[in-house]
Amino acid sequence: MIFDPILNLFRGRAITIPPYDGAFRPNTALETAEILHEVAAPDNLCQTKDRILLTSGCDLLQIDPAGAACMSLAVYPAPITSLAISPDGKQALSLADGRLLIDGETIQLSPEIRCITALSFDADDHLYLCNGSDSRPTTDWAVDLMEKGCRGSVWQISPDGRQPNCLARNLAWPSGILVQQERLVVSEGWRHRLFSMAKSGGQPVPMLDKIPGYPGRLTPSRFGGAWLAIFAPRNRLVEFILQEDDYRRDMMREIPRSQWIAPSLVPSNSFLDPLQCGAIKTMGVRKPWAPGRSYGLAVRLDAELQPIASYHSRADGTHHGITSIAEIDGHIWVAACGGNRLLDLGAVHELGAV
Amino acid sequence: MPVRDLLLRCRYNLIPEHLIGEVLTKRWTDNAIPFLALVITIVGFGTAIPGFFQLQSLSDSTRQLGEFSIVVTGLTIVMLGGGIDLSVGSIFALSAFAAVSAFFIFEQPTWIALLAALIVGGAFGAFNGFLVGYAGLRAFLTTLVTFIIGRAIYDILVVNYAAKIQLSMMSSDVWDFIGDGTVFGLAISVLAAIMLALVAHIMLSRSRPGWHILAVGGSRRSAHNAGIRVRRAVFATYVISGLCCGIAGFLLACRLSGTGPGTGLNLEIMALTAAVVGGNSLGGGRGSIMKGIMGAVIVLVTTNGLIRLGYGTGTNQMVLGLMLAAAVILDIRWLKNRHKVLNELYVAPIHHRMGETQSAEPQADSPYALNDRLSQATPIGLGDLEGPEDVILDHDDHLYCGTRHGEIIRFFAPDYRRSEVFAHTGGFPLGLAFDRAGNLISCVGAMGLYSIAPDGIVTKLTAETSRSLTSVVDDARLRDPNDCDVAPDGRIFFTDSTKRYDAHDWALDSIEGRPTGRLLCYHPATEKTETLLDRYRYANGVCIAHDGQSLFFAESWACRVHRYWFDGPKVGTVECVIKDMPGYPDNINRASDGTYWMAWLGMRTPSFDLSLRHPGMRKRMTRRLPQDDWLFPNINTGGVVKFDENGRVIETLGDLAGAAHPMVTSMREHKGELFIGGILNNRIGRYVIPGANQRWTGLRSYWGEDR
Repeated sequence: MIFDPILNLFRGRAITIPPYDGAFRPNTALETAEILHEVAAPDNLCQTKDRILLTSGCDLLQIDPAGAACMSLAVYPAPITSLAISPDGKQALSLADGRLLIDGETIQLSPEIRCITALSFDADDHLYLCNGSDSRPTTDWAVDLMEKGCRGSVWQISPDGRQPNCLARNLAWPSGILVQQERLVVSEGWRHRLFSMAKSGGQPVPMLDKIPGYPGRLTPSRFGGAWLAIFAPRNRLVEFILQEDDYRRDMMREIPRSQWIAPSLVPSNSFLDPLQCGAIKTMGVRKPWAPGRSYGLAVRLDAELQPIASYHSRADGTHHGITSIAEIDGHIWVAACGGNRLLDLGAVHELGAV
Repeated sequence: MPVRDLLLRCRYNLIPEHLIGEVLTKRWTDNAIPFLALVITIVGFGTAIPGFFQLQSLSDSTRQLGEFSIVVTGLTIVMLGGGIDLSVGSIFALSAFAAVSAFFIFEQPTWIALLAALIVGGAFGAFNGFLVGYAGLRAFLTTLVTFIIGRAIYDILVVNYAAKIQLSMMSSDVWDFIGDGTVFGLAISVLAAIMLALVAHIMLSRSRPGWHILAVGGSRRSAHNAGIRVRRAVFATYVISGLCCGIAGFLLACRLSGTGPGTGLNLEIMALTAAVVGGNSLGGGRGSIMKGIMGAVIVLVTTNGLIRLGYGTGTNQMVLGLMLAAAVILDIRWLKNRHKVLNELYVAPIHHRMGETQSAEPQADSPYALNDRLSQATPIGLGDLEGPEDVILDHDDHLYCGTRHGEIIRFFAPDYRRSEVFAHTGGFPLGLAFDRAGNLISCVGAMGLYSIAPDGIVTKLTAETSRSLTSVVDDARLRDPNDCDVAPDGRIFFTDSTKRYDAHDWALDSIEGRPTGRLLCYHPATEKTETLLDRYRYANGVCIAHDGQSLFFAESWACRVHRYWFDGPKVGTVECVIKDMPGYPDNINRASDGTYWMAWLGMRTPSFDLSLRHPGMRKRMTRRLPQDDWLFPNINTGGVVKFDENGRVIETLGDLAGAAHPMVTSMREHKGELFIGGILNNRIGRYVIPGANQRWTGLRSYWGEDR
């Protein structure tokens, strides 16, 4: 309406976020899931033909499917930020210092690719990668959010390892990629959405938006569809702080990062962390629906990439900061980075049988 | 101080923005808009028409005003009862005709004429009242029907009997006096209107039938459920309105000594406009007679003024219609949004820079470093108890605490497994103290200072102090009495944490940060309460020092502890003993070794401290986010701190995981143990203090060995 600009002056400017409703209806499935391993900050989970790999800080671990032990395969000089295995066993791995290693060999990349958040191979051995930002390292994701960063990009690297080809730019922290037959699906963290695009690049088509959290890694499901790891929840106070430029600038300058009003992978464990009214412990209880900086949420998407089921660890839980999900031997394995645990959600059912 | 801080302080601390919200909480702000309209109308026409307000030109319009106000008063009562009366014009005309015919045709005395007018008015009012009140018809249609029928009857009568009235030779001094005379310079009709308005005002605001009418208008269903006879009340309003029309009609008859076809024409529109423009709600229940009178003046001044300016009836009606429309829109919008406006405007944060503090992190090298020792406390009343803000023990070691249900619970020594309700206060009992006679003194949240005798009888000591000169909202009332202690001579010193918010809204006070906390003293001998100190940021715990001449009190949001001397050489002085703590202090109590225990209700966080320097951010936060999402001080971790007279911190006790004692609001040492309370907790903790005096009790420390 033409009067909107005038009327807006008188309208409330309440900040709203999508509720956990529909397929996102809360449960405690993640909180009560079987604990496979206690691992410090488990991050990217991958399965090859014969092995299950997991990254944890600088360590690359191999998991025994019987659940007996984690074995360290290699220790890198910097934290590992993502991992992918091609159908024929090629291993791509990125480090927080900006390097990309394919089968141990450093690949030369343009200087703007320093922040690899997700990697994925297609059937033709092309490697696709998400670069969260052109200036911040992966570990600075909270800074990028607070700076309202939108300088991320998606790249394709051909099997011969020649100069990578940029498929999309000006993305707000692309943090997960799913390679399908004809298209790529990318999760764009700070815009809370998934979009798809042709493998050769081109116009992004929104697939799913208004996600009640920051979407991260995507993994295919053998029944079609995909798994989406949501690494942090949306929070009204954080969205409010994103509008408060003065406060946010001072906060970033003066306050240690762990104490910012910003999403986090780890549940709060210090009295110096910010507290919201709804999170006050009353009569010895913290409400499960309390607002918080961290949350545990794994989502199953159908073939159209619409959510059909979700698995939660709520504000009173500890299995927060879900960074990757994988179907392993018919079971759903979840890496709870903030909860320092590798979890088993149980057997995967066919779509529609959930 | 940086320039930006200085500018922010000018903007947020010097401009008294909080007054807007305080003014809006006043009921009289409802009158502001009609009053403004009244002033504008009078000044407008007064300047536009020279001599508009000269006595000569006023004399006729004041009589008219008297009659009109009486009609409006009647209509206002109907509207307050939730109805509407469109038939006032017809009833008015018929009453006037009844009076005139009784006097001129039947040649009866004046009082019979008045009676005739009242009977006609009352009868039509009763007809309306019966149909609307008892038969349950719609007020609008029913009174519209009465209006049409009444008008038709009047027109027939006037045509047939006008000549007869004209020819009558009847005259009476009383009749002429009522029509033309004045008493103390006031026309009879004006006097009648004033008296009627007074009676109606007193009836509505001070009497049972009046309250019933307002209750019915406010909510018919609730009034019915409360046992009010709704139908009778509705019936009564229409009868009153009819009688008012009767009186007004009689006065008109006396003034004009006759009636014509134009009598009472369009009166219903004018009266309705007047009632609504004055600010009476069409929905009923809200309004007053004064508003009706204000509206009557506005409407009459406007119509007369327009006529004097040479505008015709059409323009006049148009202006009335527009005024009515504007008033209705304003009424509905205001009624709907008043609380929103108030919510939007009430919280007015100020700029405050917190001092640098030492770290309380467990690994820190500072006297404040917290530990996990409170987690070892054994629980009392776990699962039964809710919200023991303060705890205290008596000579027999029984333990007392308040609960959020308004009760004071007594746990029996020695194991504190058995408990009973010692007393019920009705509010939220916060601070506790024993006086010399063994009465339990309690600050009851949102109520005042109370005394509970050993047999459980609750007596109010005080709920008010003297009002300060510049207050907008009455600050004599205690809004958040928080902690108290008793001096050796029996004086009770206590704090009232904030003047701006009620006890349950204490969190808003932390976000606003305005210093409005007070230290007060209650004198039992004279039963007077005096304000000793004012302007502290949430004055909280109070403890009489071991010297019996001074007291410590906590200033929570400033993280300070002050000492105030009420006796001795330094009487009346106040000193800051501890400042810039990393936690927010709550209650303070004596320790056995001559030092003091202090509870920390929560911890400062860098993000909240920073927000205190961004008042605009806090203001927008309260407007754009629901309360559950607001940034708070971290009150999920508290602790207990021991300090000496000089403010040196000796030791700390904490529960970092917060499983047992997240927020600590009080602690009381008794025979080598520390009893710990928390306003949001579900237990009292019992912690053995290593090496403490096993005989020491607070009561002995205050009142000696004898009971």
